[in-house]
Amino acid sequence: MNFVIEHLSKRFEDKEVLRDIGFTFESGKIYGLLGRNGAGKTTLFNCLNRDIRADGGSFWLEENGNRREIAADDLGYVLSTPTVPEFLTGREFLKFFLEINEKSIRDPKSIDDYFDYMSIEPDDRDKLLKDYSHGMKNKMQMLVNIIAQPNVLLLDEPLTSLDVVVAEEMKQLLRTLKQGRVTIFSTHIMDLALDLCDEIVLLNHGELERVERSNPDGREFKEKILAALREEGYE
Amino acid sequence: MNKTLRISFSLRNTYRVNGILYSLKQIPLLKRILPQALYRVRGLKVFANVLSALWEAVSVFLGKFLYFLTMVAGIGALYKTAPAGRVYLHILLFLTLIGAIMNTSLFNPTRDKYYAMILMRMNAREYTLVNYFYALLKVILGFLPFSVWFGLEKGLPLWLCLLVPFSVAGVKMAVAALSLWDYEKHGMVYNENKLRKHLWAVVGLLLAVAYGLPAAGIVLPGAAAAALLAVFIPAGAAGLWKLLTFRGYREINQQLLAQLTTQMDTTAQVIQKRNRKVISADAGITSKRRGFEYLNELFVKRHRKILWSSAKKIAAVCGFVLLGVLLAFYLAPEIKDEANELLMSFLPYFVFIMYAINRGTGFTQALFMNCDRSLLTYSFYKRPDMVLRLFRIRLWEIMKINLLPALVIGAGLAALLYASGGTDNPLNYGVLFVSILCLSMFFSIHYLTVYYLLQPYNAGTEIKSGTYRLVMSATYFVCFFLMQLRMPTLVFGLLCIGFCLVYSAAACGLVYRLAPRTFRLRA
Repeated sequence: MNFVIEHLSKRFEDKEVLRDIGFTFESGKIYGLLGRNGAGKTTLFNCLNRDIRADGGSFWLEENGNRREIAADDLGYVLSTPTVPEFLTGREFLKFFLEINEKSIRDPKSIDDYFDYMSIEPDDRDKLLKDYSHGMKNKMQMLVNIIAQPNVLLLDEPLTSLDVVVAEEMKQLLRTLKQGRVTIFSTHIMDLALDLCDEIVLLNHGELERVERSNPDGREFKEKILAALREEGYE
Repeated sequence: MNKTLRISFSLRNTYRVNGILYSLKQIPLLKRILPQALYRVRGLKVFANVLSALWEAVSVFLGKFLYFLTMVAGIGALYKTAPAGRVYLHILLFLTLIGAIMNTSLFNPTRDKYYAMILMRMNAREYTLVNYFYALLKVILGFLPFSVWFGLEKGLPLWLCLLVPFSVAGVKMAVAALSLWDYEKHGMVYNENKLRKHLWAVVGLLLAVAYGLPAAGIVLPGAAAAALLAVFIPAGAAGLWKLLTFRGYREINQQLLAQLTTQMDTTAQVIQKRNRKVISADAGITSKRRGFEYLNELFVKRHRKILWSSAKKIAAVCGFVLLGVLLAFYLAPEIKDEANELLMSFLPYFVFIMYAINRGTGFTQALFMNCDRSLLTYSFYKRPDMVLRLFRIRLWEIMKINLLPALVIGAGLAALLYASGGTDNPLNYGVLFVSILCLSMFFSIHYLTVYYLLQPYNAGTEIKSGTYRLVMSATYFVCFFLMQLRMPTLVFGLLCIGFCLVYSAAACGLVYRLAPRTFRLRA
C-alpha cells in the first residue's frame, strides 16, 4: 500500500506554504518530516487530516495498483499538545471510542488490556482526563489512534515534551506499529528523526524532498540535511 | 526624566497602535482588504496614531464627566433630604476616598509597566514616578472642568470647586504613600486589583457612608467636608515626600508584575481554565448508555453546575417573582389594570428576557472547551453521520434545559393575565404560553446551529470567526431593539411563533446540509 500526494498546494494570503507537493509514501516505513520553524509541517498535516482545505491537489491510498479515496478512519493524527476530552475518565473515553468504532476495529481487546499495553497504571484509569499529566494524556491520544489501526498515522512532534521514560516507550511502540501502515513523524530534533525513522523527508520552500541516506549515522548525512535546510531563499 | 517620559509614551503608544491595527484586522470584510504586513503600512499607522491620541485625550475627560454626571451629581440629585450642595460634597468626598484606594495607578499592574520595567529593564523608580505624575496630572486636568461646572451648578463657591481636583490628587498621593510605608513595615505589596478582605470592608463602609447616610438624612456639614478636602492637600504633600524618597520601586513592581504574568493569560486561557473548573469531580457520576448517548449523558451530568443547576435556579427565581406579583395583586388590587395592559403589549420585552436567561452560549462554550476541542482532532468524530447524530442529541438536551424556565415563565404569564382580570380573547393565554416556549426553542436552536455552522474556535480556543462575533452581536441588538417595541400580545405572539418555527426548520436543514463540512477546528 502506498500513500500518494499529488499537486497539493496551500497559501495563506500572499504566503505560499505548500507548493505543488507530490510524494509517495510506502507502508511499513516511518518517515521523518524535517523542516524549519514555520516551514508548514503542521499545515501539511492539517491539510491531510482535512482540518483545513487545501487550495489544490489530491491524496489517496494505492492498494495493489488500485486507487482509493482516503476515508476518515484511514487516518490517525496525533498532535503535539495532546487533546483528550477532559470531562471523561480514561476508561470512559476508551469505552466511548470502542463503542463508536466497534464496526471498524479489528480484534478488539478489553479496556484494561489496552491500558496495560500502554502502561497506564490501574489507579489512573478511572481518573478524569483533566487530571492526567501531559505524558499520560499523550499516551491516551496515541492509544486511541493506535486502536483504530489507521493506514496512515500522522504524528506532529509527539515526543518533544515527554519525559525520557515515556519518550522511549513511545519510540518502541512506534517501531512495533510501523508494519502495514505509513507513519509520518514530524520533528525539529534531527537526532530523533535519524534514530527512529527509516526515511528522512524535508519540507523546504513548500516542497517535499527525500534525502538519500548514504551513510545512516554519519556526520555527513546531518550536514547534508542542514545544508539543504539552510539553502538561500529561505525567509 | 525627559527621556523616560518619552520612551514610556512611545512604548504605550506603540502598544496601543498595534492593538488598534490588530482589531481592524479582525473585522470580517476589512480583513480581506488589509494587507498581511499592515503593521508597517505608514498610512494605517498614522491613522491608528490619531485614534490613539484622540483616545488619550478623551480618556482624560470622558471618564471624569461620566463620573460626575452619574455617580456624584446624578445619584446625588435623588436625595431630597438635604441641600443639593451638601449632598454633592458629601458623596464626592467619600467616593474620592474610595478612588484613592481602588484607583492608585501606582499599584495597578498593567502590561505596559511589565514591558517597560521587566522586559526592557527601564529604571523602575524613574519610570514609576514619571508615569505616576503623568497620571496625577491627567486626574487634575480631567477633574478641573467638571468639578467647576457641577460644583457651581450646586451652588458651591468657586474656590472650593477649584480645590477639588487638587484634593483628589492629594489624597491619592497620601494613600499611595501609606501603602509604600506599609510595604516597608510589613512587606505586603498592595495590588489595587486584588484588594484584601479588610480593604473591601473599608470600601463597602465608605460606599455605605457615601450613599447610605444621605438616604437616612445624615449629611456631612458643608464646612466639615470642605475642611477635609482642604486637609487632603497637605496630606498629599507629605505623601509626595514619601513617594520621592521611597527606594523599593523595583522590588514592589517585580512582585506586583509577577502576579500579572498569571493575569496575562490570554482571555482564551482564562476561559479554558474556567471551563475546566466546572467539570464535576463527583466519582458517583456514571452512565448506562452507549456511544454518543453515553458521551452526552456524561457531559451533561458533569456540567450540571452550568447547565441544569442554573436553569433550575432561573426557574425558581421566575417562580418567586410570579408569586410576588400575584401577592401584589392581592394586596394592591389597583395595580391589576395596569398589569393587565402591560401583559397585553409587553411580549416583545420577553424576547430579551428569554435571550438573557438562555443557556445556549454557556452550553456551546462548554461543549467546545471541554469536549469538541479535543474530539474534533480525531477523524472518527468528524464523520458526517457522527456529527449529525451528536447534533440531534445535543439539540434535544439544550432544548430540555431551556424548557424548564420557559415553562415557568410561559405558564406564569398566562396565570398573571388571568389573575389581573383576564382577557376577552382566550386565545391570548395560549399565545403567551406557546410564544414563550417557541422563543426558548428558538434560542436553543439558534446557538447550537450557529455553533455547528460557524464553529468559531481554533485549537487554542481563540475565536477566529468574525462572522460568529457579528452574529452574536446581531442577536443581542435585535433582542435589545425588541425590548423597545410595543405591540399587541396576540399579534406579536403569533408572529413570533411563526418566525420561530420557520427559523428552526431552516436552521436544522442548514445544519444537515452544511455541518459535516463546517464543524471543524479552525486553523
